[in-house]
Amino acid sequence: MTRFEESAPVKGGFSFDLCKRNEMLVQKGLKPSSYLKTGTTIVGLVFRDGVILGADTRATEGPIVADKNCEKIHYMAPNIYCCGAGTAADTEAVTDMVSSQLKLHRFHTGRDSRVVTALTLLKSHLFSYQGHVSAALVLGGVDVTGPHLHTIYPHGSTDTLPFATMGSGSLAAMAIFESKYREGLTRDEGVKLVAEAISSGIFNDLGSGSNVDVCVITKGNREYLRNYMLPNLRTYVSEKGYSFSKKTEVLMTKITPLRELVEVNEGGDAMEE
Amino acid sequence: MGDSQYSFSLTTFSPSGKLVQIEHALTAVGSGQTSLGIKASNGVVIATEKKLPSILVDEASVQKIQTLTPNIGVVYSGMGPDSRVLVRKSRKQAEQYYRLYKEQIPVTQLVRETATVMQEFTQSGGVRPFGVSLLVAGYDDKGPQLYQVDPSGSYFSWKASAMGKNVSNAKAFLEKRYTEDTELDDAVHTAILTLKEGFEGQISGKNIEIGMIGSDRIFRVLSPSEVEDYLQEVE
Repeated sequence: MTRFEESAPVKGGFSFDLCKRNEMLVQKGLKPSSYLKTGTTIVGLVFRDGVILGADTRATEGPIVADKNCEKIHYMAPNIYCCGAGTAADTEAVTDMVSSQLKLHRFHTGRDSRVVTALTLLKSHLFSYQGHVSAALVLGGVDVTGPHLHTIYPHGSTDTLPFATMGSGSLAAMAIFESKYREGLTRDEGVKLVAEAISSGIFNDLGSGSNVDVCVITKGNREYLRNYMLPNLRTYVSEKGYSFSKKTEVLMTKITPLRELVEVNEGGDAMEE
Repeated sequence: MGDSQYSFSLTTFSPSGKLVQIEHALTAVGSGQTSLGIKASNGVVIATEKKLPSILVDEASVQKIQTLTPNIGVVYSGMGPDSRVLVRKSRKQAEQYYRLYKEQIPVTQLVRETATVMQEFTQSGGVRPFGVSLLVAGYDDKGPQLYQVDPSGSYFSWKASAMGKNVSNAKAFLEKRYTEDTELDDAVHTAILTLKEGFEGQISGKNIEIGMIGSDRIFRVLSPSEVEDYLQEVE
């Protein structure tokens, strides 16, 4: 028996076999199933002491808002965060996977991860899927070589920039950056500018909305400011509440307590011999 | 061995019912440098001798105690390169577990996975068993735990254990000195004294390595200067 399992990548994930079938079905008139897109405004900028990332919090499914407060700034490493636009599942899966790879790399090398490492892992993965993994990312972080900010497009190309925007609201946000960005911003100025750019996306783009998330990364420290701004609070809630006319009468109430504890089989772990 | 007709696989049963290669692997472990582990009431400590083949070797570049996850560490006795392969596989398995269940891998699960890998190498063609025994120290929701994994793939949970050259003396010493409610710092002292028992030459922060995990659930390898502090407390 020569079954020798090496740590080869598990065969799975994307198989392109069904793409041709799907194309054929679309031609015959079948509407493709809708998936959760993030619409989105995501931004990043480099300031005096590091990098600031920002994102809105609306996730759309066609014309419907599927999640009013989703998290688009994903953790990659203690010193690296990544904003994701495009298909929510794709950005989640790709950032999770690369975050995992970076963690193993940190164990093996005993060093902090570098932004370019995350960048290269992400772009090689996206390129090998030829744009089918619909993830547009803004990657930012501070490592031993300094602060870095990159954008990654679904087909695998990247840019290295002092300020960047992605997503459907990128034009609105870029307008703000282009007019107000300058080198050597302080932390407060940077956060204010990022919040302004995201707000511009929230109010001027239908695919973006709800709240502003901000993440400030400096050397040796990071602050994840979840819901830094809430410009879209529900302003009016009726105090009277709602009353619904009674439809069915309650005849009898009986409460059956379920068993509280799950029984655990102790001592099942040790090996006999 | 006399069974040359079984020479296509190194792990065929001998007529007496033993797997001779595994016995030999255990001998390889037994001639490795002493390592030991002690489970305290609020943590676990593992330690090992770090005897380098020559004074010219840069001892700062050698690290025998490794971290598998932030809350699990491992030390070995036997062949260093074999242990590196296992450490690499274990780290990857811990990470895959996290990816799948979004939960840090419990110590028992990681030990089981590592033991499975070691067992696979005793039942495949063209490979040999690992020449290491591992002592895995971890702290999770079940509290502090210490496991030993052998080349055969069997694993045991220990309150205190030793492996390598000086195993019988070390175990006898540990049996005498171990108490159920020992604290982590006392356990470190006991570990140092146990290592000192069979140590040839002058013990110092540079030729032993100590790793510990407390209730903060972060596994750390002590720096040589920290080891020196503990050594001085023991003197």
